[in-house]
Amino acid sequence: MHPNAETIATPRRAVKPRSSFFFIWRGILADRYAMSGALILAFVIVAAIFAPWLAPFDPTVSFPRLRLQGLGTPDHILGLDHQGRDMLSRLIWGGRTTLFAGITPVVLSALFAIPLGLVAAWNDRLGSIIMRVMDVLFAFPMVLLAIMLAAFMGPGMVNMIIALTIVLLPYNTRVVYVAAQQERNSSYIEAAIAAATPTPKILFVEMLPNVVAASIVYSTTIVGNIIITAAGLSFLGLGVQAPTAEWGIITSDGRQYLFNAAHISLLPGILIMTVVIAFNLLGDTLRDALDPKTRLALASRK
Amino acid sequence: MPRFVVMRLLQMIPVMLGVSFVVFISVYLVPGDVARTVLGQQASDTAVQALREELGLNRPLLVQYGIWLWDLLQFDLGYSISQRVEVASLLGEKIVNSFILMGFSLFLVITVSFLLAVFSATHFRSIGDRLTIFGTLLLASAPTFWLGILLLYLFSVKFPLFPTSGMQNFYDPGGFWELVHHATLPAIATAASSIAIVTRVSRSAMIDVTNKTYMMALRSRGIRRRRLNYVHMVRNALPSFVNISGLQVGYLFGSAIFSEIIFNWPGIGLQLYNAILQRDVPMIQGCSLVIALTFVISNFLADFIVRALDASER
Repeated sequence: MHPNAETIATPRRAVKPRSSFFFIWRGILADRYAMSGALILAFVIVAAIFAPWLAPFDPTVSFPRLRLQGLGTPDHILGLDHQGRDMLSRLIWGGRTTLFAGITPVVLSALFAIPLGLVAAWNDRLGSIIMRVMDVLFAFPMVLLAIMLAAFMGPGMVNMIIALTIVLLPYNTRVVYVAAQQERNSSYIEAAIAAATPTPKILFVEMLPNVVAASIVYSTTIVGNIIITAAGLSFLGLGVQAPTAEWGIITSDGRQYLFNAAHISLLPGILIMTVVIAFNLLGDTLRDALDPKTRLALASRK
Repeated sequence: MPRFVVMRLLQMIPVMLGVSFVVFISVYLVPGDVARTVLGQQASDTAVQALREELGLNRPLLVQYGIWLWDLLQFDLGYSISQRVEVASLLGEKIVNSFILMGFSLFLVITVSFLLAVFSATHFRSIGDRLTIFGTLLLASAPTFWLGILLLYLFSVKFPLFPTSGMQNFYDPGGFWELVHHATLPAIATAASSIAIVTRVSRSAMIDVTNKTYMMALRSRGIRRRRLNYVHMVRNALPSFVNISGLQVGYLFGSAIFSEIIFNWPGIGLQLYNAILQRDVPMIQGCSLVIALTFVISNFLADFIVRALDASER
């Protein structure tokens, strides 16, 4: 770099380029709701990753004499389930499964939706075909489509993740499509076309960084919903199978024991709700942090 | 307006065809041979072949779809494997029961969230407003299946105020209030997350209206606060309230499936669940198709109502 570049640039400090992570970080620090959401998530994710070391017992080992014991049982602080398995251990392991089953489809569908949306926005003919197919998928209520696909493919974690990825695809593609259509008419794309840049390079090098933000924001706002749907599918017996610990399955297990051991059903739901609240709080901030209109306010704030 | 209705009706045809094709083609997701799944693993090869012939599985895909669609237009959805009756004959009654539950839920969504939004917007940043926002955050994040169980536990098991399941008492069937009594808990569980969303969106729409210049003009003319809030603010925020309520219909369809299962409400969601447990492929297909098609039609109706109420469209 030219030795004087620094001095030349200094008078215009306001335009210092910042990465998106800077704005996300600033946004989270600046907002105590987002901060608490991030802390809750960090806590839950650490617990999920270190489940084998954190859980006091094996989630599938049962203590038959203590079955259905409630909260505050010695050694089993959150009680035991209908087979005498330690609830705390099952909930910690369950978080691992539920979070994995809820987050994976969101990431996968974004990976498919970004090229689909970009191509659809670039080529009108392909675009109208892709978007018509998506319109048909839109015509299904989200939960129904997930249930139907999972029911036909048969139960299991992998099938559930495939079903949820397909369900999310139209929503994610539309987000990318709308963002890419706005970019398509901007002057930097015009410049790229004038410079005879090959189309794949325009789409996946020039345009991609500008539509990824929209997709990430959408993904964080939808993660909570997908976690609920994934737990719901397992609750219906269409997702993860017993005896694997999963929050939806634990809720379903406890249904027959509401009269004498309500904690089995009620505890996992509290955890699902907490995680979803945390994601929703974080999603709101992320939307602000990645939106060019509001991010200036975050940058100027010290 | 008539032009709009005709256009929307015409647009619905390809969407409905697409929906039916997705439901039709999804059967091919069933691992292995459909006929084999239907008859069980012990079935002889000749029996499987005979069923394949009967179901038309040996013909080209599009021909199969054509035949299936033709049957569908005559309300023939095939035979239920587990119950050995026509699928269509069972679904009519079930969809009516689901509509009853959804009607109660939609009523709750509209009244509760309207009142909450008006309260919140007129008490902007007060403790009541903050509590409402916090409450909507909780409701929006609670899974329906868990909320249903919680309500069941609190108001049927702990304090037996409401029945645990079904639509009616067997010893004393009938009566509107009997139905309301049975529908209360499932309708709350179904409506909860939609109430949260509608409340939040209409609250911010109302706050937006309050900050408009014409509201300032009215205020400067000395119009009383009460009239300002309950007449001008509410009326100008009405289109966005109706719009977001209409969008909730699809969400209610999804939540209703779970509440029907928890509260044993004999609707189409419970029917779908039982069909899944029994691996009854034609029944799963029929239920999904009926729910999806009613969803398309109710979206059209919601659109129509939104347009009819929107003053700028008249």
